[in-house]
Amino acid sequence: MAASLMFRRINVALANLERTLVELLNPRGPPPDAFCLVGVEGYRVSGNEPKPFSIKDIIGDGLLWAVPKHRRSLEKRLKRKFGDPEYVNKLILPKTTLRVCNTCGDDHEVGVLCPTCYKKVIEETKLMQDKIQEELKLEPVETEVVVLYNGEKDDKPSEFWQGKRIVEMEKERPSWFSKNLTQQTTQQPATTSDVKPSQLG
Amino acid sequence: MNQADVSKLVSQLRIKVNPRLRKFRNPGGPEERLNKLRKTVTALIKHERIELNYPRADEARMYAERLISDAIRYGDCHKTTMEMADYWLTEKQLVHKLFKVLAPRYQNYNVSFSRLYKAPRPYPGDKNLKAVLELRGNPFPSVTPDTQSNRNLIHNVLLDEAKKEYRQKKYEEIASKIEMEAEKMKTTDAATKETSV
Ligand SMILES: [Zn+2]
Repeated sequence: MAASLMFRRINVALANLERTLVELLNPRGPPPDAFCLVGVEGYRVSGNEPKPFSIKDIIGDGLLWAVPKHRRSLEKRLKRKFGDPEYVNKLILPKTTLRVCNTCGDDHEVGVLCPTCYKKVIEETKLMQDKIQEELKLEPVETEVVVLYNGEKDDKPSEFWQGKRIVEMEKERPSWFSKNLTQQTTQQPATTSDVKPSQLG
Repeated sequence: MNQADVSKLVSQLRIKVNPRLRKFRNPGGPEERLNKLRKTVTALIKHERIELNYPRADEARMYAERLISDAIRYGDCHKTTMEMADYWLTEKQLVHKLFKVLAPRYQNYNVSFSRLYKAPRPYPGDKNLKAVLELRGNPFPSVTPDTQSNRNLIHNVLLDEAKKEYRQKKYEEIASKIEMEAEKMKTTDAATKETSV
C-alpha cells in the first residue's frame, strides 16, 4: 500500500515539474500535447472512423460569396437609398421649370426658346442667310439688305428701292412672318388730335 | 480737381461684362483664344444671327459690342478703331459694313446692339447650353413669339370692343341719314304731287 502511494506521489510531482518547465520555456505558446498511454487506443474499431469536416461537402459545385460582416446603420442605408437633397438627390421630383408655349402649345424650359417655334424661325433664317451671301458675295457691304419675297418688289415704285440692297427669295412669304417687321421707317406724326379706334389696332 | 471722368474714357457697354474672362481650351496658347473669338465676331457681323455654344457666344458678344460701340463713337477716320476693326474682322468686306451699315443703324439706340438667347437643346441630351446670338435690327424673323398680336391679351380684347362700338355708332348714323333722306324724298314727292294737282 505504502509503495503504491509513494509511486503516485512521485508521479504527480514529476508531472508538476514538467508543466512548470514547459511554462518557463514557452510562456505564450499552445498548450503542450497531452501525455497519454499508447495502449489506450488499442480497443477502438478502425472502420467506424467519422470523416473529417470539409466545406466542400456543403458547397459542392457552387460558389461561396462574401457576406456582410457588420450591420450597416439605418442612416447609411437611407442615405444610399434616397441620396441627399443638398448633394446627390436620388428622389424623382417634379420639374417646375417647364412652361407651355403661347404660340404653338409645345413645352419648353423657362428662359429657353420654344423648340418648335425656334426650328421654324431658324430654318427660314438659314435660307435667308444663304440667299444674302449668294447675292453679296465678297463685295464690300455698304447698305442695309432688304429681303423680299415673291411679288413684293412690284408693290412699291422702283424709286422706293433705290439705294437699298434687295435680296429676293424665290418663294412666298411665310404666313407667320409679318411683313411689318421689315419696314424700318416710323409713321408720320398725325396732324389732328382725335383718334379713331380703328387705327389703334 | 480737374480729373478726367474715367467712365467716359471707354465706351460704356449696355451688356453685362464678366469680371473674369473665360479661358476656353487653347492648346495653342492665349493667342488661339482671341483667334477663336475673332472667328465668332466676324461670323456675327456677317450673318447677323448665329447659333453656337453659350459660353463662347457670351464671350464674343462683349468684343462685338465694344467694336460697334467704338465704331459709333470714333468713326472710320480714327486710326485705333480702324486697326481694331481690321484685327477683329477677318473678312475685310465687313469693315465697310461695320462703319457704313451698323454704325448708322445703332447710332440712336439706347439698348445693347446684340441679343443673346438660350437655344433649345434635345431632351434628355447633354447639359451644355446652346445660344443664339444676333444683332438687333436684322432682317430675319424674330425668334421670340409675337406677343402683341395675340387676340386674347387684355388690351387687344378692349381695342376690339372699342372698334365694335365705333362701328355700331357709325352704322346708326348712316341708317339715320338714310331715313332722313327717305323722309325728305317723301315730302318732296308729296310737294310735287300737290303742285302737279
Ligand atoms: Zn412655340
